[in-house]
Amino acid sequence: MIWNISWKNVWRNRSRSIVVICAVTLGTISGVFVAGLMKGWVDQRIHSAIHTEVSHIKIQNPEYLNNEELKHTVPNYNKIEAYLNNSPEIKAWTKHTKIIAMASTSRGNTALAIKGINPEEEKAISDVYTKIVDNGGDYFESGFKNPIVISEKTADQLRLINYIISQELLDSLSRLGADENLVNSLNQVKDQRFITEKKFKAELELILKPSEIKEFGANIMKLAKNYKIRSKVRFTFTDMDGEMVQKSFRVCGIYKTTNTMFDQMNAFIRTDDIAELAGFQNSDCHEIMIILNNEKDENVKLFRDNLKSKFGETNVMSWKELAPDAGMMADFMSMYYYMIMGVIFFALAFGIINTMLMAVLERIKELGMLMAVGMNKKRVFNMIMLETIFLTIVGSIAGMILGGSLIGIFGKVGMNFASVQEGFEAFGWSAMVYPNIEISFFFGVTLMVIVVAIFSSIIPARKALKLNPVEALRTE
Amino acid sequence: MKVIDINNLTKIYNGSEVMVKAVNNISLSFEQGEFAAIVGPSGSGKTTLLNMIGGLDKPTEGEILVGGTNIGGLSASKLIDFRLKNIGFVFQAYNLIPVLTAKENVEFIMELQGKSRLERDERSIALLSAVGLGERVNARPAKLSGGQQQRVAVARALASKPKFVLADEPTANLDSKSTETLLDIMEELNKKENITFIFSTHDQRVVNKARRVITVEDGCVVSDEKRN
Repeated sequence: MIWNISWKNVWRNRSRSIVVICAVTLGTISGVFVAGLMKGWVDQRIHSAIHTEVSHIKIQNPEYLNNEELKHTVPNYNKIEAYLNNSPEIKAWTKHTKIIAMASTSRGNTALAIKGINPEEEKAISDVYTKIVDNGGDYFESGFKNPIVISEKTADQLRLINYIISQELLDSLSRLGADENLVNSLNQVKDQRFITEKKFKAELELILKPSEIKEFGANIMKLAKNYKIRSKVRFTFTDMDGEMVQKSFRVCGIYKTTNTMFDQMNAFIRTDDIAELAGFQNSDCHEIMIILNNEKDENVKLFRDNLKSKFGETNVMSWKELAPDAGMMADFMSMYYYMIMGVIFFALAFGIINTMLMAVLERIKELGMLMAVGMNKKRVFNMIMLETIFLTIVGSIAGMILGGSLIGIFGKVGMNFASVQEGFEAFGWSAMVYPNIEISFFFGVTLMVIVVAIFSSIIPARKALKLNPVEALRTE
Repeated sequence: MKVIDINNLTKIYNGSEVMVKAVNNISLSFEQGEFAAIVGPSGSGKTTLLNMIGGLDKPTEGEILVGGTNIGGLSASKLIDFRLKNIGFVFQAYNLIPVLTAKENVEFIMELQGKSRLERDERSIALLSAVGLGERVNARPAKLSGGQQQRVAVARALASKPKFVLADEPTANLDSKSTETLLDIMEELNKKENITFIFSTHDQRVVNKARRVITVEDGCVVSDEKRN
């Protein structure tokens, strides 16, 4: 009966309750959605850290961590190879050679870590092969000699990107709805080559109206981008004996991940193409990358510790140590989601307390009667607490359903933060986010709602418990 | 058999400037099945006396024995439990729970007593039928007239099978016809269930029905008249 009374009391002042329920609903929607968004980001960052950058476990020579000289290859490689080939826990593994080199073209230069890989094995470890940009060549599929895959960032630094208004671009713009004036304006610079993005943008500002740039600028930039595939890049580095050597590679592919730092540092070549010049033996490598079947944290730690004990002469690190930013997120984010909800519910609690206080003050006479006829303090407290829980939980359930639905929709179509893409990617965060949330989060939020409701009911309930039945019955 | 035994009961209110003796050394007793009215002008102390008998107010001096228990010596929580088991209340302003139906209002007290659903169902319907509201069991208070609401309040007061019912000005808000009906119902229930009814009133119609009239003035009993 107390449950019945409490539920009915919620609807006694319908409009006031609806206002509070709406506030709780909106608060819950925002909290759930923000948590889903954060989780989407974090999951993508972790996925990118493991499957693009560092794998689950990496084995290196401890000396190589202090001094990246080519001679510090992974010790006892043959033993490790035999062990890895017979480990059922492993899904895939591969080895890299790594050379720190100066890359140069006729117009630019930059420092790079050139990773010598086996492209087929690498595909099972890293998804860089899926990140080749449109019109950016391929992943070691072209037949030419000494191919290299570099990032778009590196291509930009080496001036291997230029901008051209082609007939194809003009046709595409017409299909996108560009009017004749815009096409005619662009026609003035057709087939002209702009060697930097800055110069191309400056030209567009001269020949196009601001409104045209606003509407079609991004598409023009994208369509005009021309990667100089097959361009020669010369690398200078020191070989195993410490001698300076040089070798040229031709760009076969240009990739772009969601981590600018990674892109800026890494280029990929076939190990065989540099082995002789660098002085590598067949067993020489600088890092062994491992992907496990079971991605669970405790499993990764267990296998890392196992490798550490077996191959004490090597340095074995898990992805959490190799990408500490992603590791920290994995460890603390679930707490962070609850903190977001906690802050929202803490603010809402004041509104709930206020509403419940008003509800109690309006019913002083009735509460006096209840106490007079024999309703004890525990029951009075329970009645007010249940009322508060009902009031709060209705809004939060509605909020969880709506917030969850929003996450479901945006989880499929994604949310594109293109305007801040550069900033996000500088920290390794993707600008395209697919929010998601675990079901257990909703159980946690429900528990929080009940705790907040109990907390919010304390002040109104205390007010009710302090009533003197005789005085309460006298009130009008 | 004595239901209530009041000995030398005094209640003093200490105001900020004056001390008021609302009840002054009253001794009374009530037998099982009495239908008694406490009458007197406003401020005479009749409501204070009723509140103390009902355990809602503590006496300054004296004792109230209900079934041999001195209720003045009970703690607040024990008093609540005592009221639930032994006393039925009818208030001037009905004081029904507006969100509950007539039946639920009556059942509620039995639920507090821990009675089974079946017993609650049967007794609440029986009591509402007894007060002439058998057809309105599912009506909420807002849909009932003042007289009907007060009849629900009487049914509620009797639901817990109390030793006695205290009714503070039960007819003050009712018209003549409703008053007449209510008094007839209470008299009938008093006779049928042998429950003691004690009214505080200055309504002559209640006084006329009562079989015992206690007149209180300035906190003292000035007459105690029993009728047949």
